[in-house]
Amino acid sequence: MSDAPIILQVEDREEDVYLLQRALQRANLSATVHVATDGQDAIDYLAGHGRYADRRQFPLPYLVLLDLKLPLVMGLDVLGWVRSQPALRRLIIIVLSSSIHEADVQRAYELGANAFLVKPSDMNTLADMCQALKHFWLTYNQPPARPKRRD
Amino acid sequence: MTYCNFQSQDEGRHLRKQARLEAVAAQMRLAVEAAPNGMVMIDERGTITMVNAQLERMFGYDRREMLGQPIELLLPERYRGAHPGQRTAFFHSPEARAMGHGRDLFARRKDGTEFPVEVGLNPADTPDGRYVLAAVIDITARKRMEAELARVHSDLREHARTLEATVAERTAHLQQTIAELETVSYSLSHDLRGPLRTIQGFSQIVLADAGDRLRPEEKELLAKSINAAHRLDRLIQDVLAYTKVSRQNVVLTTVPLEALVRQIIDERPEFQPPRAELVIESPLAPVRGHEASLTQVITNLLDNAVKFVPPGRLPRIRIRTEPEGTMVRLWFEDNGIGIAPEAQDRLFAIFQRVHDEKTYPGTGIGLAIVRKAVERMGGSVRVESQPGQGSRFCVRLPRAEVS
Repeated sequence: MSDAPIILQVEDREEDVYLLQRALQRANLSATVHVATDGQDAIDYLAGHGRYADRRQFPLPYLVLLDLKLPLVMGLDVLGWVRSQPALRRLIIIVLSSSIHEADVQRAYELGANAFLVKPSDMNTLADMCQALKHFWLTYNQPPARPKRRD
Repeated sequence: MTYCNFQSQDEGRHLRKQARLEAVAAQMRLAVEAAPNGMVMIDERGTITMVNAQLERMFGYDRREMLGQPIELLLPERYRGAHPGQRTAFFHSPEARAMGHGRDLFARRKDGTEFPVEVGLNPADTPDGRYVLAAVIDITARKRMEAELARVHSDLREHARTLEATVAERTAHLQQTIAELETVSYSLSHDLRGPLRTIQGFSQIVLADAGDRLRPEEKELLAKSINAAHRLDRLIQDVLAYTKVSRQNVVLTTVPLEALVRQIIDERPEFQPPRAELVIESPLAPVRGHEASLTQVITNLLDNAVKFVPPGRLPRIRIRTEPEGTMVRLWFEDNGIGIAPEAQDRLFAIFQRVHDEKTYPGTGIGLAIVRKAVERMGGSVRVESQPGQGSRFCVRLPRAEVS
């Protein structure tokens, strides 16, 4: 468990959390997935605020899967906040959204998203996506240096 | 000729003067008498020496009442004082010109009423001295017309202002409607697709996890749920694609059509052997278009061409271009099931399906997207077809300028 990469999934729909979990299983991607259920929750997690203060329990993720339409703070605002934090500027953020709106895609890249994935309605496609995620981001990609842990 | 009809006390002197002038002025007088303008001649002292019939009509005086009188008789009283000085100055440095230097001039009839006039001054030197012939035009009608015109102009400006206000108001209303529609389309994308993912994904998970324990009918029901959710998701995506081609900013550039068509075919196995035979009649003429929109157009037309074939038949599609003036015709000719003439009218309308859903699934939006995209690029699309004899789709687009 401890060697498994940490993924922070920012997602308010329980069903989508479950679907991703199943798709990751199908793709044989073993990761520890933490879930933030709204934009503010995601910021708290990444800042290590409140209940996320313990970095050993809630370590900074290897990558973030970010939904755009979220309660409280929207996904794009989370993205903007992350890129404004010196310690998080290089964090890998992959948008995983329902949106097939050109404007959302453009804005996400402008704000510094590393990739933009559209949630498929088909489970098999989602599993394929997780497979690709595993190969590209977790196997071949050279990740940026991690900020020093404060433990 | 009864022109000379002097009754004044200076009759004798006038007759002598008249006789001397006659030779010089006889022809001029003929012309003057018949002229459509009022004509009046004065001598150096400002005395009227000649008038024509039109001037009599204009001022209401008989010529006997005017001849020998100072020209100021014909002026409104308020101008009479300054006039002798002005006319003396003119006699000293005469030139043919309009009187008044652009000011509005008024004349006074016998009955005291005034009317606007235009006066042309022509000096005429005779052995008897210098005279000035003035041509007088009553411009009452013209002035009235000018006033009317000014009123119409002003009305028109007022109308334009009202129209602008109305347009601004309607535009604001329209923009609000568009903003609302965008909200709806945004919500379609985010909020409708979520539950669909749940329906389709969860059904797929159940089918995968518990498939062994289910009876065939139960598996069939789940498969149908999955299929229905998938179709609905396609529909949402197509509606969004339609609104996108309707709204997006279309900037036309030169598109190398042949390269684009080849790229689209290369990316899709269903457009390649053994699933289909697509023949490009090289070269395809380049066009002016929006590459993303054009990609959508070509993809949708090819999708239809390979889909609408009788079961078991290999789709064969010929793609070619031909010039048509400043346009290019891009043809897609297939060996499919064809389209009945009565169905061709509604073929390009949104949500119209002309073949049965079971054999040929689809959302009925593909060709609506094609038409909308082509029209936004300044082109048009039509079909020629007979049932059982294939279809020929023709997309007309502006020709690319040859550099």
